[in-house]
Amino acid sequence: MTKGALHNFRVIDLSSYIAGPFCARLFGDYGADVVKVEHPGAGDMARSFGPFFKDDPHPEKSLLFLYLNYNKRGITLNLNNSSGRKLFKELIKSADVLIEDFDPGYLEERGLGYGSLAAVNPELVMTSITPFGQTGPYKNYPGSHIVYEALGGVMYTSGASDRAPLAHGHPQSLYIGGVSASHSTSAALFARNQIGCGQHVDVSLTEVVAAHHTGPTTRYAYTGEIERRAPHNEAGSAKGGAHFEGVIPVKDGFVGATFQRGAGRRGTLADYLRLVGRPDLLEPEYEESLPAGRLTDEQDQLLLSVLKDWGKYEYFTTAASESWVAAVVQNSGDLANNPHLHERGFYTEMKHPIVGKIQIPGEIFRLPESSFKLRYPTPLLGEHNIEMYCGDLGYSREDLVRLHQLGAV
Amino acid sequence: MINLSGVNTLDKGFEVSVMDGPLSGLRIIDSTTVYAMPTAMYILGDMGAEVIKVENPVASRVRAASVFPDNDPGEKPWNRDGGFHRLHRSKYSIALNLKQPEAVEVFKDLVRTSDVLAENNRPGVMARLGLDYESLYELNPRLVYFSFSGFGQTGPWKDFQGIGRMFELTSGVSQFTGYPEEGPRRVGGAWFDPPNGWMAVFAILSALHHRNLTGNGQRVDFSMYQMGVATVGDAILDYIANGRNGQIMGNRHPFLAPYGAYPCKGEDQWIAIAIENDKQWLELCRLMGSPLWVKSDKFSDGLSRWHNQDELDHHVGAWTSGYYHTKLMTLLSGAHIPSGAVMTAEEVLTDSHMKERKFFEEVTFPPKSRMGSRVYTGSPWKMSQTPSYIRRPPPDLGEHNEFILTEMLGRSKSQIDELYSLGAITKEPVPLPKPEPKKSEAELLAIKEKEVKDGTLAGYDPDYKSKLGMK
Repeated sequence: MTKGALHNFRVIDLSSYIAGPFCARLFGDYGADVVKVEHPGAGDMARSFGPFFKDDPHPEKSLLFLYLNYNKRGITLNLNNSSGRKLFKELIKSADVLIEDFDPGYLEERGLGYGSLAAVNPELVMTSITPFGQTGPYKNYPGSHIVYEALGGVMYTSGASDRAPLAHGHPQSLYIGGVSASHSTSAALFARNQIGCGQHVDVSLTEVVAAHHTGPTTRYAYTGEIERRAPHNEAGSAKGGAHFEGVIPVKDGFVGATFQRGAGRRGTLADYLRLVGRPDLLEPEYEESLPAGRLTDEQDQLLLSVLKDWGKYEYFTTAASESWVAAVVQNSGDLANNPHLHERGFYTEMKHPIVGKIQIPGEIFRLPESSFKLRYPTPLLGEHNIEMYCGDLGYSREDLVRLHQLGAV
Repeated sequence: MINLSGVNTLDKGFEVSVMDGPLSGLRIIDSTTVYAMPTAMYILGDMGAEVIKVENPVASRVRAASVFPDNDPGEKPWNRDGGFHRLHRSKYSIALNLKQPEAVEVFKDLVRTSDVLAENNRPGVMARLGLDYESLYELNPRLVYFSFSGFGQTGPWKDFQGIGRMFELTSGVSQFTGYPEEGPRRVGGAWFDPPNGWMAVFAILSALHHRNLTGNGQRVDFSMYQMGVATVGDAILDYIANGRNGQIMGNRHPFLAPYGAYPCKGEDQWIAIAIENDKQWLELCRLMGSPLWVKSDKFSDGLSRWHNQDELDHHVGAWTSGYYHTKLMTLLSGAHIPSGAVMTAEEVLTDSHMKERKFFEEVTFPPKSRMGSRVYTGSPWKMSQTPSYIRRPPPDLGEHNEFILTEMLGRSKSQIDELYSLGAITKEPVPLPKPEPKKSEAELLAIKEKEVKDGTLAGYDPDYKSKLGMK
């Protein structure tokens, strides 16, 4: 195995919370030298957000921060300080990528906008992740996960139509925003080989959700029809959905069931009853392949009743082994112990100076020649100040102390 | 292999220069189907790569979720499906029946001149065709061979089928999502299809960066399951450290309140509001006219507000009900309170901010297709030097057979004729689907009315074309 695929890139991660740090970590996972830059004192806001190790709200024990910031070195830097801004420009000189998520205009006000940084390093790719992007009438509006899912069109079509529209109960929009930022940043690095310079990448989290939810916008642009979340279904199985594709209660949890067998093929109700071991319920008309439409209430009830005594993994592995598309609602504990993930090498042990040894979710995809590796555990606040400022930038230890006392680091 | 044949000579009046996109000069074979990977491929196409969709004419393009212009499938429905179009802009199409050895030879010729092959076939299919990594490595050692599947190429679940909308459950997101008393739900359609396509783009580019350094391609093993699980990593650590599983809390937040969707004036109108600190709360109180109830101890601090959410949400909802959602958003967001109108597709498409950002892009189809022009989502990011945009309309099945065989592979007219006569290439699905009887205006209207009555449609707008400025 060689070094990671991205090992010749240096990434400055000036972002916080989820989207930016996840984007930067992906670069670190595949070999880039990622330097996490935090404000002295509190650091990344994720340090004050839970969950926390052993429910101890301590800035080095945020599990959210631990998860999103391994494979990075960590330094502190105060952009509101003149020496801090000078140090920042020195860091930028050797950087390939800057990832930041300040409000539009914040860095310009400090003389650190894209134009100023490109003057220092024309090859810099600067990626700005904000709620609404750098332009447009909403650009100064604040954002939040539920705001993106509302404005991106996801909520209106999710949940039941007799209830409030529903967002994901976990900040999915921010994670997928990080993914979108990572591939656009990587493409800008790729373009640099051809055009010889870096550029500014302007990511809008609201547009990330809208770019995700293309079904209803395309439908409107083809037919004028305005899709809505489905009515509540008392039977519960389809959860108001259009097909037998809801979330179905079973003996020890919930499963996802479909009539789909492989890409585009559908099984029949008869096949299904044979699958779940209830051929006694067969009626001749069940041999017909089911139409794409909704099940009748009776069919719905029938399927609910035949599944209720199954265990969730028993159902999932039985159906999936027979090539039916199926799912199992897994919780965090199920995932932590999942044999498939363990056999795939998804988990890696991390040794952290405060938390100790902990199993962390790691490799997302495998590049056999240049793969994921845990290179650095999540840094403590300012852990690599001496290494970066004295080693990389060449300041003396005495000057580092001065910089600290001036409030720059 | 940087080839410079990316100049678009096909669409008259739509000339694209080689250096125009970040990935101009790359050639990519898209041997993928359904949703996640076609998404990855159109992004690469929007970025300027020359994406060649190799289509199996035996597999139907037209699926249950098809959406036709004005619900008219026309004579060739396979070329008119919006569900297909939205995932296949910026691509060329060649329809190859790989059951014919001559078609496999064409595929191999494409591999010789390509940078990336992306495939999401069932395990074993590529090997059976002689198109496995080992065989193609012999032809092109610089090839990035990207294999995408539900659960990856190894592990006890590797042979299980995986589709995006089911991974919200299996990957652990549904443990948080739903109405609390009701159990888990899925949100946002096939949630994990697009993000898996997006992560696939990052993975492909990573392999290309590796190739820039070493000269070598490799075979990438990508699983949808792992990408999904990676988005709940913090929650898995909560279990590992604290033994805690996720909880279904509706739209509520683990420690912030008020946080949720509140009703607005009009039918099924809502606004999302997220109060993240005391400052925003005080600002909200001011906008609400500082009613008496906000002075109660139950709401005076963040923790108390969180513990008294039922009552809090009732009060806030009573206030929001007096406002139209977009007006209220302007009021709240203007006062730096995070808020967002819960928008319909029509509202997203016509939103003033999206318009000024030119987020949606209009594509004009060739006149013979009678598709007119249609609007699609653009990229959620803008690059200052090498823009991404929709480079060509979604192709008809096999539309570029001749272009690809002649211009890219140097085959002669007689060789191409022979491929047609063998059935190795085609422009029509095999077998040809039976034409559906054309529905009358009245029948189409009755279907819409029923959907409105059932509640699955909020409505329909006969003037949608002019509203979107489409020709």
